[in-house]
Amino acid sequence: MSSRSQRVNNGINSLVRRLMVEIPGEDPAAAEERENDALDFVRESLENSTAPAVVADVNQASDLIKKRLIQTNPSPDKALRFTHLYSRLLSIPVITQKWAVLYFLYQLSDQQQRTPPILTSPFKSPVKNVRGRRNIEDVIPGSPSYGSRRKEETPADSFAPEGLKRLPEREGGQRDRKDEEQAFAKSVAAQRENVALKTALLSENYVEIDPPETALLRDLPFTLQGLSSSHLPFSSESTLKLPSTLPVPIVSILHTLAEPSLLYRGLATFTQSPGGGLLGQSLRAAIGGELRSYLGLVATLEGQIRRALASLDETEPRGGIGKAGVTLKRCVVWTREATMGLRLMSLISEESKSKKGGQLISLIHGFSSSHGDPMVGAFAERLLVHVTRPFYDMLRQWIYDGELLDPYHEFFVSEQDPLAINDTTDGRHRGVASSVWEDKYKLNEDMVPSIITQDFAQKVFLIGKSLNFIRYGCGDSQWVEEYSKAASKELRYGDTATLETWIDEAYKTTMARLIHLMSEKFHLFEHLKALRNYILLGQGDFIALLMESLSSNLDRPAGAQYRHTLTAQLEHAIRGSNAQYDSPEVLRRLDARMLQLSHGDIGWDCFTLEYKIDAPVDVVVTEWGNRQYLKVFNFLWRIKRVEFALASTWRKCMTGSRGVLQGEDENVTKAWKLTRGVLAEMIHFIGQLQFYILFEVIQTSWEELQTAIKKEGCTLDDIIKAHTKFLNAITHKGLLGAKKKKETDENTFMVQLGDILRLMLSYRDAVDGLYSWAVSDFTKRQGADVRSDSQGRRDDDDGLSINTPATTRRGPRHLPDSTPALGSDESIVDEFPVLQERLQALGKHFKSKVCVLLGDLLLQHDQDMRFLGMTMNFNDVYVPSTKKKAPVRQSAREQSKSSAKA
Amino acid sequence: MPSEDSKQDKQTSAAQAKQVIDVFQEISTLLNADLDRQTLSICISLIENGVNPEALAAVIMELRKDAEATKRRLEAGGQ
Repeated sequence: MSSRSQRVNNGINSLVRRLMVEIPGEDPAAAEERENDALDFVRESLENSTAPAVVADVNQASDLIKKRLIQTNPSPDKALRFTHLYSRLLSIPVITQKWAVLYFLYQLSDQQQRTPPILTSPFKSPVKNVRGRRNIEDVIPGSPSYGSRRKEETPADSFAPEGLKRLPEREGGQRDRKDEEQAFAKSVAAQRENVALKTALLSENYVEIDPPETALLRDLPFTLQGLSSSHLPFSSESTLKLPSTLPVPIVSILHTLAEPSLLYRGLATFTQSPGGGLLGQSLRAAIGGELRSYLGLVATLEGQIRRALASLDETEPRGGIGKAGVTLKRCVVWTREATMGLRLMSLISEESKSKKGGQLISLIHGFSSSHGDPMVGAFAERLLVHVTRPFYDMLRQWIYDGELLDPYHEFFVSEQDPLAINDTTDGRHRGVASSVWEDKYKLNEDMVPSIITQDFAQKVFLIGKSLNFIRYGCGDSQWVEEYSKAASKELRYGDTATLETWIDEAYKTTMARLIHLMSEKFHLFEHLKALRNYILLGQGDFIALLMESLSSNLDRPAGAQYRHTLTAQLEHAIRGSNAQYDSPEVLRRLDARMLQLSHGDIGWDCFTLEYKIDAPVDVVVTEWGNRQYLKVFNFLWRIKRVEFALASTWRKCMTGSRGVLQGEDENVTKAWKLTRGVLAEMIHFIGQLQFYILFEVIQTSWEELQTAIKKEGCTLDDIIKAHTKFLNAITHKGLLGAKKKKETDENTFMVQLGDILRLMLSYRDAVDGLYSWAVSDFTKRQGADVRSDSQGRRDDDDGLSINTPATTRRGPRHLPDSTPALGSDESIVDEFPVLQERLQALGKHFKSKVCVLLGDLLLQHDQDMRFLGMTMNFNDVYVPSTKKKAPVRQSAREQSKSSAKA
Repeated sequence: MPSEDSKQDKQTSAAQAKQVIDVFQEISTLLNADLDRQTLSICISLIENGVNPEALAAVIMELRKDAEATKRRLEAGGQ
């Protein structure tokens, strides 16, 4: 340190010595004193200013020097030379304070030029140097006579905020243009000289204007703030009155200056106007902030103007304004950028009137992202930071608390009016909880601002909805509060990537929690399983037991069914089957009840099993889902019931054929044989149908559902979707599908199957009738046998008869024997052909129906359904056809055959 | 040979210093700074030692003004 100060001291000493002037004949003491004085002065001034006033930057110093060189020299060689030197200097490593030396040199150079205050060095005109050299007398020909005062009135005093609408007509335009062309043709240096000359000429030939430029300048700050002044009054909200005595160039300059003034006025009123919504208010606040910085600019401008006006030299030409550094033209240049900003803001404020919320953000974002001008982009970006603040507040509330805080409906999620929901429900009435999930909130596509993607918006929507659902649907607001406390973060515009990660995080947490709640607290998966087991008849032993115990009960008319018996039987079925090991939570919800009964129904038609689903779970198993389940259950129940009935009849027939049904009558035996054949067909049909529905349809769809809902990262929406798909699959494939194109009822599988099942039941009734006829016939024959035996015995007693054992004689003796009994037993005998005919007709009908059904199945697109047709008709017994003819022909053939046999 | 090395170093650095001063002098003539070689080198060394360039420039101008004034006085006195 000391050596350094030593060196500095030495340097100062030698410097002072070099710069001192030797005074000849001065005595050495005085000289020394003078030297010491100088030394003291130097040291003091050097010590006092330690920190440099400018930023230590080599480039800046060199730029300054370059500018200076270019300004002072018309030709660029000096600047070029400097650039060379400068690059050489940069390559030398010795000196560390290059910029300081450069700056030092810069400060020392040509002092006399820096005397006027430098306001805008880039705009510094080269007049001052040129003027001295040039002679003013060599006038450029055709210099425009702008100086002469125009007698014309200014064309338009008022103009729209966009700027000048009508240009004042140009005088002597042709000559002017030629001159301009000439000017452009010249080289840059020449042109510069030309300009300098013109400026000089202008200032020399300047003609006073009224009001003078100084007065206009004095008024300008007020005008820029939108205030009326003596020379430039605002005549109305959007018009500025210019003095009519001004020449055209000044008027055009004032036009340019009036633009920011009028824009400012408009924007100031806009910021004062009540904002429509939070985003509107924030837009106004942001614009207000920008206007304040504009006012700051105006204030500095005013400062400059005042200083310039104060230092005016009245004796100079043009009132000395050319030297002051502040002219109207310069003000135009200074306010240019601000005017751009004001223009953009006024555009935004105009367009924002018809937009709100997300659209507003989209509008500004459109400027920042897709406008070609980088300045506009940066400006819009700056606005966006302020404008989006309430939006991000809302977003934060939504994704961390699940609350919609949107008093002006500006967010892209909107709460649905419950009344409106009821109006719009398309026939499908939904439960309360499902509307919490599906209908309470709605994603408004056109309100999604362009700063976030559609995909992202969907995610945000889902997060908030889930949180809200957890809070209100699942009653777990505690978790939501803890979560919002732990995870809540300040969201702001800008770092989109961070925001996305945060939202992804929130999404994952929320979804995981919701699924956890659904599976753990509300046993969603258990409920689904129970639905499959009980409603879709997955639990075989339970259903079998239930049916057995209920069968006698359900044969009675529907009106005679009582709830308590049904529930008692249900309880019995549960206790007697493996269902008893199921959790009580599930069993509690199982209920048996009767559907609305219509006249003539028996218990079978109305009985239904029900699985009650309550609050949050019915988001998945909706009212609609419940109906689908019921539909499937009823269908399956009917099939089961038919199967059960057929099986019991078959059993009766089988046992009967060993005893009571044995008879010698060939007709009867044949009838029984045919009946058994048809019964077997029916049983086969039912068996295949059941197998198909239970295994091909329900089981496979169930597996799909299971894989879908067990998937990692699956959301409630996914579960709902998968479940709906499951239901659709089982109803469609399970032949219950709603009629699509063919509106005719005959063609839907549902109706066809219903017909077939009904046919089977009536067939069974007929078989039962045959059976009872056979039994009565049997008893009659037995009675006849007994009678004939006793008769025979009487004959024997009479000693007339041939000795024949009764057992072997029964058949051949039947015919002649029956003749006398005909009279009394006529009704029973007559019943047989009727029954036979009925059975035949029913069987025929059944076959034709099955053929139609098979024909329809073959036309199905679904592979499984075609396969059902294949399994039912595995040995081509049936001739599947959609045409009615084929079954008719077949049945006709059969009929002829049977009639031939008969 | 550390001494020789340092000698060489000194030589190169001296050459470089000369170069620097050459460059600066050219710049100063370009800028009409009106500094002779000696003064310039003194100033550069001062600045290298941490003197504020702005202040230095001011000081030099002041000294020059002084010198001019004295000269004028002398001339006046001489006349």
